[in-house]
Amino acid sequence: MISQKLNDTLTLTGPGTPAGEVMRRYWQPAALADELAGERPVVPVTLLGERLVLFRDARGELGLIERACPHRGADLCYGRLEDGGLRCPFHGWHFDRDGRCLEQPGEPAGSTMHERIRTTAYPVVERNGIVFAYLGPGEPPAFPAFDCFRAPESHVFAFKGLWECNWLQAMEVGIDPAHASFLHRFLRDEDPADAYGKQFRDNAADTDIPMTRLLREHPRPEISVEPTEYGLRLTALRRLEGGRTHVRITNQIFPGAISIPMSREMIITQWHVPVDDRRCYWYSMFTSFDAPVDKARMREQRLKEHRLPDYAPIRNRANGYGFDPIEQRRETYTGMGLDINVHDQWAVESPGPIFDRTKEHLGKTDVAIVRYRKMLRAAIDALGRDDAGALPMLGDTDPTTVHGPISNDTIADTDDWREAFLASDAERRASCTGWDATIERDVRATAETSGKPETATTPA
Amino acid sequence: MNETVMLHFETADGETHDVVAKVGQSVMEAAVLADVPGIEAECGGSCNCATCHVFAPAGFEGPNEQEDEMLDETDTPRAATSRLSCQIDVDAALAGTTFVIPATQS
Repeated sequence: MISQKLNDTLTLTGPGTPAGEVMRRYWQPAALADELAGERPVVPVTLLGERLVLFRDARGELGLIERACPHRGADLCYGRLEDGGLRCPFHGWHFDRDGRCLEQPGEPAGSTMHERIRTTAYPVVERNGIVFAYLGPGEPPAFPAFDCFRAPESHVFAFKGLWECNWLQAMEVGIDPAHASFLHRFLRDEDPADAYGKQFRDNAADTDIPMTRLLREHPRPEISVEPTEYGLRLTALRRLEGGRTHVRITNQIFPGAISIPMSREMIITQWHVPVDDRRCYWYSMFTSFDAPVDKARMREQRLKEHRLPDYAPIRNRANGYGFDPIEQRRETYTGMGLDINVHDQWAVESPGPIFDRTKEHLGKTDVAIVRYRKMLRAAIDALGRDDAGALPMLGDTDPTTVHGPISNDTIADTDDWREAFLASDAERRASCTGWDATIERDVRATAETSGKPETATTPA
Repeated sequence: MNETVMLHFETADGETHDVVAKVGQSVMEAAVLADVPGIEAECGGSCNCATCHVFAPAGFEGPNEQEDEMLDETDTPRAATSRLSCQIDVDAALAGTTFVIPATQS
């Protein structure tokens, strides 16, 4: 539970807002590279409440500038992509990717007015299928050496989806390891051979136990959180028969991303990016430690569930997320189909566009949510005293030395679950032949648990 | 049901916050919703976290059993008058009470 004032502070991200200023200190996904693949690479982008237009100029360089023409506000998404920039159809003013106005063809000959016109332009860079933008002051930070950025393009698939809710509630579902046993429960197990490209459908770690069964039969994970240089590492332990423990390692990457294991082959790095205060996109990079990603197959799986051009889910609030009470009784916990993205979408959209956290009651399993909000508050306070160096990965830590983060499902045969997941991760990295996945050092910090982990359980 | 009483919260740096609390709320809810600094209340009132620790006036009613256990886990060590503010219901008899907030909660 938090006050309305604090809820506003943590959720609102438009220009000048405290959380918005924090978000603007980091690279944020602005579009999929796929969106620029058509004949005319011009895409409307609304990011952190700012209305922008993304385009690729004749030289192949990307530009991200304010959508409204600085002359009289017409929409440059309808601009003419020509002469190495974007030209407003209203009076022909012409802008390059740096926001400079190069021509005003209707002004008197010899006019130098265009030299004094400069529209907002932000740095953009394309990484493995996602165009990232930096909307903050000064020079953008270096990219961290996360697996999704180190892997070659062949081993990373990127996709996105629109959720009709504030970014924070979207992010908070990703740092809540307890929900997987309920929200994503399948009452029957699927053949893991059909699991390619899907979350929670493989066998758990190197066992013959389907992940669906493991989650279903062990609903009370022991959850602990430890601070790291990139954010938080979450550990969820599920005690199995014979003294074995299922260890699931997931991460919060500050400020708005998570990193989680998807299957034995792949991990997911997922950003939750505000469009405005009441809508957000998830952007995922699926990174393979094994074979190159079958992008056509993964794209086809996901395009079936989304409508272009805005990547809005076909199951949504307007059609009740396809809720089927018979399915709910017989097959899934939600009755909303087999795509777990829809389950998450319902969980984060149904509390309303901006969840009223004055009414919430957090349990023991919400420890990472509590910890995350503290991190965000600390970052907001730091910017308030002009100390951006206190923010994760913006101070003494060189982002290019931040690897991983380790995202892993493992079975520990002994009580030493930490050693088990580190060994499992090291083995996966060592056997990765498609790219250099080795990491030089572990980023683990002091373990910090949620009080008494042995009693941390989900509410019955 | 809309009866209110005035409560006072004294923070570790000596500031006093006057809060209009509704009868039926918990003391923690009244403080958090009024943005009184120093009451973390991570668990939102489930007697689950020991981060809404306060010192009550001498002679104040003692903690319940579950609360008593949680009070062993407070960050600022417990004292004879320690309570978890989520476990104190606001009623008319509480009018004018001052609760002292410890320097740290977590």
